[in-house]
Amino acid sequence: MSKIDYHRLGNFRYAIITLVGDDGFPFSVSTDFKIMPDQKIVLQKPAQPSKLDGKRVNVLFNHITGLPEGGYGDRRYMLVWGTTHEDNGTLRFEPETMSEWDEKILPFDQYCAMSAPQGAKYLGRLQASVEA
Amino acid sequence: MPLLPFYLPDSGKFVVTSSILFSKKAENVKQNPKVSLLFSNPEGSKAGKHAVLVQGIAHADDSDLDHGWEKYLGYWRKKEPYIDAYLAEREKFGWFWKRIVVQVEPKKILAWKNGDTSRQPEVFGA
Repeated sequence: MSKIDYHRLGNFRYAIITLVGDDGFPFSVSTDFKIMPDQKIVLQKPAQPSKLDGKRVNVLFNHITGLPEGGYGDRRYMLVWGTTHEDNGTLRFEPETMSEWDEKILPFDQYCAMSAPQGAKYLGRLQASVEA
Repeated sequence: MPLLPFYLPDSGKFVVTSSILFSKKAENVKQNPKVSLLFSNPEGSKAGKHAVLVQGIAHADDSDLDHGWEKYLGYWRKKEPYIDAYLAEREKFGWFWKRIVVQVEPKKILAWKNGDTSRQPEVFGA
């Protein structure tokens, strides 16, 4: 997987845990987190979902800054997939894969250009469905 | 993923529009319409510290990628006034402006007062 930059990760204020609930709907909940000296990610355990031991989840770390004239700046996120393990009232998170964007590292126009293959794939599938 | 949602008071639905460049979520909606929207960042939600999770059924409409989203431009402009600068360069950002409209009909709403997720949420519409 892409390597997690733990220094940058530490600049996020909170995390959002998402997993698929028993009803089939995604369940997302925000919570606090901390990075331990050995670079382990520890999440504060939310009241719900009650069972998070051994669950495959994604954890989103995101940030925006509201601009005085409206809109947002300093946009960045890290989306990390992994497994949570309950540990003394907290959740130890074992990352597996991740994706991220930080507009200060990859400007938006370059992000768009880099994402062209996904656009082409979508158009290709749409064209095929129209012709079917 | 971070998104820019709009609330449609007349229908009670939420709308997000997605460029085909970032269309993985729209593809997922076509496979499974069960989605959730979490409003938890005070900078974006303007809901104070409260956190609200909306679970609902989504419908992705890509029948008019070039113009179908334009009816929501007014909502978008209120949240991101600078979007007009990108719109002025519509040709340069051509595929960014090919957009799928995803409407979400809420089925269940969970709310955490003051964003305190260590407590049980209030549940509406269960």
